[in-house]
Amino acid sequence: MNTSREPLLSLREATVSFQGFIAVDHLDLDVGKGELRCLIGPNGAGKTTTLDLICGKSRITSGEISFKGVPIHALKEFQIARAGIGRKFQVPSVFRQLTVRENLSIGQSRATGVLHNLLKFGSNDDRSRLEEIAVLVGLRDEMETLAAHLSHGQTQWLEIALILAQDPALILMDEPTAGMTAHETAKTATLFNRLRGKHTLIVVEHDMGFVRDIAETISVMHQGRLLAQGTTDEVANDPRVREAYLGSGGIGHA
Amino acid sequence: MSGKVSFQILTYGVVCLAILLLPIVVDDAFLLNKYSRYLVSGMLAIALSLSWGYAGILNLGQATTFGLGSYCMAMYLKLKTVPIHTGSDGLPDFMVWNNVTELPWIWVPFHSTAFALAAGILVPALFAALLGWFMFGGRVTGVYAAIITLAVMVVVNLIIIDQQSYTGGFNGLTDLAQFELFGFEFDAYSASTYYLVAIGLTISLFLSLAVTRSKTGLILQAVRDQEERVRFFGYDVALYKTFVFAFSAAIAGFAGMFYTIVMEFASPTFLGVPLSLSIVIWVAVGGRQSLLGAMLGALLVTGVQGALSESETFLETWTLIMGALFVLIVLFLPKGLAGAFSALIDRLAPASRAPISQAVENSPKAEAHIGGAA
Ligand SMILES: Nc1ncnc2c1ncn2[C@@H]1O[C@H](COP(=O)(O)OP(=O)(O)O)[C@@H](O)[C@H]1O
Ligand SMILES: [Mg+2]
Repeated sequence: MNTSREPLLSLREATVSFQGFIAVDHLDLDVGKGELRCLIGPNGAGKTTTLDLICGKSRITSGEISFKGVPIHALKEFQIARAGIGRKFQVPSVFRQLTVRENLSIGQSRATGVLHNLLKFGSNDDRSRLEEIAVLVGLRDEMETLAAHLSHGQTQWLEIALILAQDPALILMDEPTAGMTAHETAKTATLFNRLRGKHTLIVVEHDMGFVRDIAETISVMHQGRLLAQGTTDEVANDPRVREAYLGSGGIGHA
Repeated sequence: MSGKVSFQILTYGVVCLAILLLPIVVDDAFLLNKYSRYLVSGMLAIALSLSWGYAGILNLGQATTFGLGSYCMAMYLKLKTVPIHTGSDGLPDFMVWNNVTELPWIWVPFHSTAFALAAGILVPALFAALLGWFMFGGRVTGVYAAIITLAVMVVVNLIIIDQQSYTGGFNGLTDLAQFELFGFEFDAYSASTYYLVAIGLTISLFLSLAVTRSKTGLILQAVRDQEERVRFFGYDVALYKTFVFAFSAAIAGFAGMFYTIVMEFASPTFLGVPLSLSIVIWVAVGGRQSLLGAMLGALLVTGVQGALSESETFLETWTLIMGALFVLIVLFLPKGLAGAFSALIDRLAPASRAPISQAVENSPKAEAHIGGAA
């Protein structure tokens, strides 16, 4: 809305129907380069599905999604990732049988070829970069711990760290603070504010306090559609938004 | 970490050295032949550990690629055989009986040693690559992939039996020449053949170790854990799985070539369901996530089986014992003997790390996977 910049990502009339159920309905969304966009909306609004469409986990039934001006909705998941899109899932998904260091090494995916990686052994990682990321997310002392042994908050951070290791131009975060303590959430807000500008982010969040801490522009979804878009105050005072949140405990608690 | 790796290399090296030096204390030709067969089992276990233990692909038809390697070697040795086992124009005897008048084109290149040796590895690998590409490209996983590997084996087996004039059918390829390389003769009942197989085993083990230790090996383990997740980092999962499937097939084919040398024939039973299922049991017993464990599992199980087979009564109950052993291991030692062994070491050397583990395991979401991928 406030960007005259060329959008990095744009969805045009993006629609997906799951056996007749329209989860995302003619959605138009533009996200500019370097922007930190918050995506909110009541449960079932279609936020996760929207991220799924962008990263290729689900396929649009009609419409168009383009990234850096190129349509990506027909590409395979790994091709979309290579184009520069990273995704953190709502249910933290890391490699539980591998150590934190091994997880980070998987995240560092600049080289994706089988034969290339066959000749790469542990010491060839960009280790200083991995250490740096581990420090950033507070997992410095857990490098040799199995991911299965991390706490819930640590697991969330490990997945965030995997995305940082991947270093994509566009990062999609699905409820990154779910299950975190207030202290952990505050740390995450600090981290996101540091990423601002270097990466473009789309953050799906429920915690309005957290959204206030990080947001520039907020997009509100409801029943698969874009309901409103603007600054925190504009959105919070929008009567349509208030109405959409009625019955789901109000916007502050969505 | 690098200390752990060098310890692993050392352990693997010591075991291989012990295997290589065995003929110093055993000089019974019959025993050495038997041990050579066990070593071939060890190679098969390594192959399955790679695909099943490291990449989560349960191959119930590992014997397919084993058989292909075995037949490649047998075709080569058949063409080298002495005139008494060949018909006019040096045609293999069974072809003459089947009224074949000209050597089939598929047999012709097996006159060449280099071709035959390469084919024994590459034919199984390419076969697996093709099959893998279809399966993994089509996102066939888990039980479905396992059933396909089993079905393909049955089909290949039937084709071999059916195409009698090219393959010797039920009887397989018998009356083979002795394998010769650089003027060296490898008598199946001799220390030289044992050394040959032991070297093959060592090469297979260390090559596989290198694969599992590389970043590709790490990515394969991630695929085993959460296949869906790996794609979103930009890795072409189908390609990775196809690679390990083909590499595993190459080792199985390599093992098959040695088996022909040791047994002095090739038979459709080499591509059988019983052998394929036995490999699964060896690997489960030894520990599928450890190459060395899987290999030692094979040596142990086939060794015990060999010892028991001296007695009639035991041989009959052997299938029963194997079944029971498998069930017990699956229930109580999911990581096999190797897993139990390393757990024991961890317990004896508690220096490593304080357990924060159990307490935080209880998060309800922790077990969920994205996209339902197992
Ligand atoms: N694969 C699917 N098949 C059928 N329905 C789905 C699927 N994925 C999501 N949905 C439905 O789409 C709606 C939007 O879901 P979701 O995007 O997860 O919402 P949000 O993340 O905003 O809470 C929900 O009603 C959900 O049940
Ligand atoms: Mg959601």
